[in-house]
Amino acid sequence: MSAIAPTRHVQTTVELALRGRRRDVAGRVFQGGLLLSLLLSLAILIVLLGTSLSDAWPVLSSRAGAFVTSNVSRLDVRAGVRQGIVGSMILIGFVAIVAMPLGIAAAIYLQEYARDTRINRLLTTNIRNLAGVPSIVYGILGLVVFVQALRAVTGPNVFGRSYVSGGLTLSALVLPIVILITMEALRAVPRSIREAAYGVGATQWEVVRHHVLPYAAPGIFTGAILSLARAFGETAPLLLVGAVTGYLSTPGGRTPLEILQGQYTSLPTQIFSWSRLAGDGWKANTAAAIIVLLVIILVVNLAAILLRNRYDRRW
Amino acid sequence: MRTVSRRGSAIAGLAAVSIAAAACAGSGGGGDEGQAGSITISGSSTVEPISSFVAEIFNETNPNVQISVDGPGTGDGFQLFCNGEIDISDASRPIADEEIKACEKNGVEYTELEVALDGVTVMTSPGNSAVTCLDDGDIYALFGPESDGIDTWAGATSLAMEVGGNGGFPDAPLEITAPGEESGTYDTFIELSGIEDIGVDRGLSEDAAAALRKDYQASPNDNVIITAMEGSPSALGFVGFAFAEEAADSIREIQIDGGSGCVGPSAETIADGSYPLSRPLYIYVNSKAAARPEIAAYVDYYTSDEALKTLVPQVGYVALPADRVEATRSAWASATATS
Repeated sequence: MSAIAPTRHVQTTVELALRGRRRDVAGRVFQGGLLLSLLLSLAILIVLLGTSLSDAWPVLSSRAGAFVTSNVSRLDVRAGVRQGIVGSMILIGFVAIVAMPLGIAAAIYLQEYARDTRINRLLTTNIRNLAGVPSIVYGILGLVVFVQALRAVTGPNVFGRSYVSGGLTLSALVLPIVILITMEALRAVPRSIREAAYGVGATQWEVVRHHVLPYAAPGIFTGAILSLARAFGETAPLLLVGAVTGYLSTPGGRTPLEILQGQYTSLPTQIFSWSRLAGDGWKANTAAAIIVLLVIILVVNLAAILLRNRYDRRW
Repeated sequence: MRTVSRRGSAIAGLAAVSIAAAACAGSGGGGDEGQAGSITISGSSTVEPISSFVAEIFNETNPNVQISVDGPGTGDGFQLFCNGEIDISDASRPIADEEIKACEKNGVEYTELEVALDGVTVMTSPGNSAVTCLDDGDIYALFGPESDGIDTWAGATSLAMEVGGNGGFPDAPLEITAPGEESGTYDTFIELSGIEDIGVDRGLSEDAAAALRKDYQASPNDNVIITAMEGSPSALGFVGFAFAEEAADSIREIQIDGGSGCVGPSAETIADGSYPLSRPLYIYVNSKAAARPEIAAYVDYYTSDEALKTLVPQVGYVALPADRVEATRSAWASATATS
């Protein structure tokens, strides 16, 4: 803001000198249009949030604590989102472990190592396209590959409808996004940094490791966490690869492997199935679950901002 | 260098979150009471609430049994069931011939158990007072395969008279919202309302007769159908009885005349069979799975008085009359005796 103020002052002075007292009508209209767009998008968000909050109020005001710690139930007054929250956490944990390293590594290769050949350009274009493929298509991929073909590995006792399948499907979904955002972050590192490092005799590995990556880290982080938030909110592919939408019990005493190869539900799929149930109680539960989802995504985004600020470098 | 190691710790942090979440998932339940093992149930979205609720209460005394219940639809359920992928299939209609063949081919044997009664409620907007009762002919004229293109109530009158209905509809736009053909409620409605019989009588092929008109607003989400009823005073549609009861303030039920006078849907008229659009709901238990103690215990509980007479009405369905409860129980008893 402080950087803009003096420039604007200069700009107005120059404008006044050149144009006299004639008003810049087009400029004003443009500015008004921009402001209107901003207000409109904000208004939509506020209406959405407002209706969800007012629908959710009966639940949030009376049993917010129980709501996030209870399991799914057929009775609207007992139902909670604990399993959905846990399920979504495990899923995005899975995505963080599988898709983040893979995506970042692939991006480093493409951006720093790969030569600018036709094949590599084709590869990058393809990744760009993949990032725009509708999520349901990844659901079909997950169903065919992870649920059906690899069911002996992904979930031998549940016919492949496990956390592993869901997590791998979501990983495939966000992988192109992670690659693209990481490439973008790497590209933003000034050439001069690389050249200076090469100039003092650093190898390519040392340049990437000690100079490019640290400078690109804030961008990579922001991208990684935003794609986790995207994975967190995905519903359609999970429905295809078998997230449970009805009742699910999660007994104790299972090993982590048994849990990962077992059935699961997630917050978005819970919201989806609750929205189809009859009565005001479920309407309130659905809205409350939406609020919980929004809060979690908000926290994730906040984490992204904090991380970015922490690693931010100026040059 | 320093920055890179910090990044490593952040990724470790994310991993820690997921491990903590996993540990949290594993910490429910505890204790060594009741059965252990797992039960997988899928099938009709109509029956799903019953199976879910029974599972939930069953889990209170048997916390170590892992149960999952899904409701993708009766047809999808039987497909999984006959592939041997699920233990119990929920169904809002009896198993069809080609599904029986699929089960036989894969060597899947099963027991059919009737667990509850449900009805189909034909409904309109609370603001519509002109239409209170429909008979078979009226339903055929409004919903049937020959009604494509009829966009006012009055427009259906001549067709209704032709097939023996009362007609006499108001001159208002006809806006139909109802479940789509993937739904068990759709099949039930066609079968019970006599649409198929009338269509075949009028020379349509069986496939053509066993369908609704193509130009209505189909929705898999019953809440959308209810909302449509509220939206227009001349709306028309149908949903499952349990769902309509929950939304009683937003809709007006239309009585059905199945040949012996107009009858409205209620727990009583469905239980005694006087409401024409009522149907039994079933579960199909895989015989091989039934030999497992946790499945046997679950179905034992499902066929108990507590489940069939207390839990079923609590989720909005109509309990079976006493004699049919006995029939279900003896079917289950003979299935477990032979296995």
